[in-house]
Amino acid sequence: MTKQKKYWKGFAELANDPIIDKLRQNEFVEEIPIDDFLANHNNLSESKTSRRDFLKFLGFSTAAATLAACETPVVKSIPYVVKPEEITPGVANWYASTFYDGNDFANVLVKTREGRPIFIKGNDAPYSSSPNARVISSVLSLYDSNRLQGVIKRNQSISWAKADSQIINKLSNANGDIVVLTNTIVSPTTQNIINDFSKKYSARHIQYDTISYQGMLEANKESFGHRVLPTYNFEKADVIVSFGTDFLGNLFNKSFEKQYIANRQPKKGKMSRHFQIESNLTLSGANADVRIPVKPSEKLNLLENLYDSLVGNSSPNDKLKVIVDELLNSKGKSLVLCDTNDKTVQVMVNAINNILENYNQTIDLTRPIFTKSADDNAISQLINEMNDGKISALIISGVNPSYSLPNASEFNAALSKVDLKISTALSLDETASLCEYVCPDRHYLESWGDAMASFNRVSFIQPTIQPLFNSRQFQDSLLVWTKSKINYYDYLKDYWSSKVSWSSSLHNGIIELNEKRYFVTKFSGQVESIKTKITDLELSLYQSNSIGDGSQSNNPWLQELPDPITRSCWDNYLTVSASTARKYGFSNWNISNGALNGDIARLTVGNIVIENVPVLIQPGQAVGTIGFALGYGRTASGKVGNGVGINAYPFVINNQYTASDVKIEKMEGEHEFASVQLHHTMMGRDLIKETTLNEYIKNPKSGNEQLLYDTHKGKLAPDQIDLWQAHDHETGHFWNLGIDLTACTGCNSCVVACHAENNVPVVGKEEVRKSRDMHWLRIDRYYSSDMTKEIANEKEISAVSKYKAMEVPSENPDIAFQPVMCQHCNHAPCETVCPVAATTHSAEGLNHMTYNRCVGTRYCANNCPYKVRRFNWFNYAENDAFDYNMNDDLGKMVLNPDVTVRARGVMEKCSMCIQGIQKIKLDAKKDGRKITNEEALNVTACSSSCPTGAITFGDVNDKEHYVSQLVDDDRSYQLIDHLNTKNSVFYQTKIRNRKA
Amino acid sequence: MLKSSSLNGYSFIIFSLLISLFLSVSNLLTAQNIEEGEQLYNSNCTACHQIDNKLIGPALRGVNEKYSEEWLIKWIKNSAELIASGDADAIAIYEEYNKSPMNAFPYFSDDDVRNILAYIDQAPEKKAVTTSLVSADGGAVVDSKTNDYIILTIAIILLLVIAGLWKIKNTLKDVAGEKSEDLFQSTVTLLNSYLESKSLVLLSVLLILGIGTNSLWNLMTGVGVTQGYAPEQPIAYSHKLHSGINGIDCNYCHHSARHGKSAAIPSANVCMNCHTYINEGPSGKAEIQKIYDAVGFDPMKGQYIEGYEQKPIKWVRIHNLPDHAYFNHAQHVVAGGLECQDCHGPIEEMDVVEQHSELTMGWCIDCHRQTEVQVANNDYYEEMHAKFKENHPDESFNVEAIGGLECGKCHH
Repeated sequence: MTKQKKYWKGFAELANDPIIDKLRQNEFVEEIPIDDFLANHNNLSESKTSRRDFLKFLGFSTAAATLAACETPVVKSIPYVVKPEEITPGVANWYASTFYDGNDFANVLVKTREGRPIFIKGNDAPYSSSPNARVISSVLSLYDSNRLQGVIKRNQSISWAKADSQIINKLSNANGDIVVLTNTIVSPTTQNIINDFSKKYSARHIQYDTISYQGMLEANKESFGHRVLPTYNFEKADVIVSFGTDFLGNLFNKSFEKQYIANRQPKKGKMSRHFQIESNLTLSGANADVRIPVKPSEKLNLLENLYDSLVGNSSPNDKLKVIVDELLNSKGKSLVLCDTNDKTVQVMVNAINNILENYNQTIDLTRPIFTKSADDNAISQLINEMNDGKISALIISGVNPSYSLPNASEFNAALSKVDLKISTALSLDETASLCEYVCPDRHYLESWGDAMASFNRVSFIQPTIQPLFNSRQFQDSLLVWTKSKINYYDYLKDYWSSKVSWSSSLHNGIIELNEKRYFVTKFSGQVESIKTKITDLELSLYQSNSIGDGSQSNNPWLQELPDPITRSCWDNYLTVSASTARKYGFSNWNISNGALNGDIARLTVGNIVIENVPVLIQPGQAVGTIGFALGYGRTASGKVGNGVGINAYPFVINNQYTASDVKIEKMEGEHEFASVQLHHTMMGRDLIKETTLNEYIKNPKSGNEQLLYDTHKGKLAPDQIDLWQAHDHETGHFWNLGIDLTACTGCNSCVVACHAENNVPVVGKEEVRKSRDMHWLRIDRYYSSDMTKEIANEKEISAVSKYKAMEVPSENPDIAFQPVMCQHCNHAPCETVCPVAATTHSAEGLNHMTYNRCVGTRYCANNCPYKVRRFNWFNYAENDAFDYNMNDDLGKMVLNPDVTVRARGVMEKCSMCIQGIQKIKLDAKKDGRKITNEEALNVTACSSSCPTGAITFGDVNDKEHYVSQLVDDDRSYQLIDHLNTKNSVFYQTKIRNRKA
Repeated sequence: MLKSSSLNGYSFIIFSLLISLFLSVSNLLTAQNIEEGEQLYNSNCTACHQIDNKLIGPALRGVNEKYSEEWLIKWIKNSAELIASGDADAIAIYEEYNKSPMNAFPYFSDDDVRNILAYIDQAPEKKAVTTSLVSADGGAVVDSKTNDYIILTIAIILLLVIAGLWKIKNTLKDVAGEKSEDLFQSTVTLLNSYLESKSLVLLSVLLILGIGTNSLWNLMTGVGVTQGYAPEQPIAYSHKLHSGINGIDCNYCHHSARHGKSAAIPSANVCMNCHTYINEGPSGKAEIQKIYDAVGFDPMKGQYIEGYEQKPIKWVRIHNLPDHAYFNHAQHVVAGGLECQDCHGPIEEMDVVEQHSELTMGWCIDCHRQTEVQVANNDYYEEMHAKFKENHPDESFNVEAIGGLECGKCHH
């Protein structure tokens, strides 16, 4: 099947742009511009440095270097005065904690070295929520140099004592209402503290969700009597029909990848069927078996049609025929979702799920999720009250309404009428800079806390570092202002000690209480029509995979993390389909160095106009729709995030994340994208191997046919015609990394985890444009046309038009994700060309890269068929030109002390986290035992952070290791295996559950 | 003895003679006992007592004069009993020392106690000893200055010999009737004959080149090699005293060597485990005071000072690998079963620690090539070792065989 498909990364590749060919052949499109300089006589004669000067410099630096080398510097070693008992220098400690910022929720394990958190991964205790890329990156936000170092009153720092007495005084003498504005509070103790505060000052507590789920909350209240969000059991759903809900990207701040993939295991001979009906190409859409691109309005009409068909009022639309049949065939084992934030729509979704008998099967309302519960009307009412002068004090915590409200300017104007404005933001963000007092809260890695994100499941937050600054937890501030004698830690401990075992709960990070479940009534509700007028051009807003709601936009790891779909970073943009772009005259083009440029537009929705919005042509975007990411365009996030992208929140009208009757016009000028989609393009066939579930069941090797060479001995597989001597891989360990393309959802967690573990530098937008991004691990995203041999046969399309159709840029291509890191070839092309033996082979199947030996010829990168080697064009640490985390002392605290920070002029690449391999080997040697499978799986940053278990790592010489069973699986193949590089990384074919 | 001063001249001499006679006899008789007493004293009493200083318990000099032997035996064997019995002296001491009871030593025989008391009586008064740190062992350290003098003397003697020979040669020439040369002439003749011989010239050129290259090579490879580096430390801590004489296990202070990559300089609180009680060393109190200054401890009161701003001790790092080289102590000490001395040299004999080994990559690799892997009783190696013997029957299972020479193992 693969053979009949054409895979492409972008339109340029499809159009056979000569640049692509160059990129396949070379690392860069352009020649290194030495000739430009040397051949240009003007340049040379204008140069102020004469040949004599050059010789002087040369002489001086040689003499200086020689003199400097003679004297060995005196190094001081400063031990602890009193060493904390739990710290052993050089040995990491792990602590269970919880991330919750109102937008994301995850149970995490924090790795600390000598008291510094340096890495975050998921807690694998039962009921845990796995972290996404943003949560994994949050460790860097701890070391944000933009954070406030103490209390601030009108931009002047004052002491806590002074601020407290002034605040208490003002609160006690407040004439009007006092309001505490927070994100959704999931902490029972924090809620109690807010209640106590409210009681003392007769204040009100208002919750505000940056991303609203009002529609679903209200619908559940109407249908079932509780204003809550349900727990979805994707692992029980055989048919998933999602009307726009990106449950693999952003849904209720919880990640559902694990459960989703649990029911998509081809080995079991059964996979869920996933239909995605959406406008933007989302991660869920990219993973769906059947994706139907529609306009947001059409989506609602289809939803109504589905309801009508299920109740028998009408016959199903052509697009839904299969879906209706399949849904009816798997009652109680299906799931219908819709992302529209509207009560009427959600009531209809509830009705559909009720008809399909999904409640208490795939949807559990007796175990609700609490991470979103705000009432959108409350904040609009608050603005009115502030305008009326009714509010005399406002305490803002955990939210940034001056940035994230669509009517932020209205809010800001109203805010100026409030006497006492207190923010507890960690840095001087858009809202905090308008407040009188900023009493900085602590980062969650410095805090105590609890979180009941879902019913009966309590997660705990414990500090993993001493507070870096003179900050105070929000809860402590409230306790002080309530004049309570107790501090928050004691409060928390007292609260939980009576209910659970305090220390074991902290240790485990998450516990289950044994309280009575929610009582849920039978579905009742009036289903109303949601028929919507279809307009020419419609807008659909989304949260990008890296930046989310924008709260961590000052995090350089996240800014440089390419979006898994658009493969662009450091930006947001309008995504449009190719035909829509043509219609409105937009285009994207690659300039001579391979970087992507594009047109800019004026976007009009109602009376809101934003100019200079870049337009990115996105395959799979529904025709007549525009996608636009929220979370960008911050003005007060810090040196990294300020001015990146454009704020899309103003388009959230009436809390709807879609808009009709959108106008778009081309403007003069062009935009420079930092798109990595063509970087590191590999030349080879069958990079992606895929098949359908039916084919796989018939023949497990289907889609994974090996290429055979014609030789004088007949047809032979590449590994049977070998010039090279084989390494002895039987003795000792033989490490292999397996990547299951079926289980990979493209979530980006591995990319950012690798970034954190291996001190990978951030290079910035300009360098990314020059193909100089440093990610050791990239997730290639391939499009493939939906025209296949099978479809052609079925539809009786002639051979000529079939091949033509295969090459037509599809409006709805298939997507495949492929994480690619160093393949650790056992016949490595890089090793043979290195003139200084800086890259050498290990008996354990790894390809070593020795930075201190590397002289930077870059021959290895030229000879690498997988394009996984990254060159340090500059010193990225301590260099003002790269003013990211490695340029300040605070940001450098996140560096992993076991991994060298590379200097300018050396090559680097994935080491398979050799520091981790060495560690588990030593642990096993010390204990006199073998390495366990569990240990091995947690060695590499990518495998330990993969929420679905798509990436596995282990010793194939140890039959106990899971990876040793996978390596010989029928689905396993090596990338570009006809080159016979004998990789230690292998892939497993992608299987789609398709009926074709 | 003190009483003797009150006696007059003559009788004083006789008395002294008698006394010294008695003492020497009693010394002979009790010599064995004093030695035993010293041993017992050192192993049982020093944690709380010193001869001349108050520690946790009182200073012991003169204790024999203060209390009767019988009383002391009772007290030492079980002080609590004595206190309980209502003995006034016992209660007085108990009260004086904040009611902290002295350990009971019921296993001491009466003679043991007598031996200890005899030792205390005889114990030499400690002077403020300024130990000359480097050459404490006398001949162990070669004096480089002496060496120079020897060479100089030899050179002068050789010159004299040459001069003598030249004189003899001239005398002989005179005798033979040949024309004698002065020193200058003979040098010129010698040089001429030397320059005429091509092979000699070549040989010397080669020699000079060889020596030159060799010394340049040594100079270059010696850059950054700090073997023998023995800087002065902020505290004159002696490994010889702690590890050598007092026999403290290396792991007691450098416990993380067994667990992690760094052996770690112990934190000051580890020092305080012993130095809460031991506030004086052979060189006096000044060095130990530096620990107290770091942690904020008042040795007079025996208490930590509240609210004291602790000051870390800034040791000078001796063993300093470059950042791009990863070294793990636990790997070598636990898995490899090496002794500390294998790399650090006779550390227990060093008053001032010096870098014993080169710590160059060649030095690491040499050892990895030679060292056999400690496979015994370690399940980790079991299968690996069997497979290795099967695939490479003639090779030794050394560190190299398990990848100890692979670049990335230490450079990552």
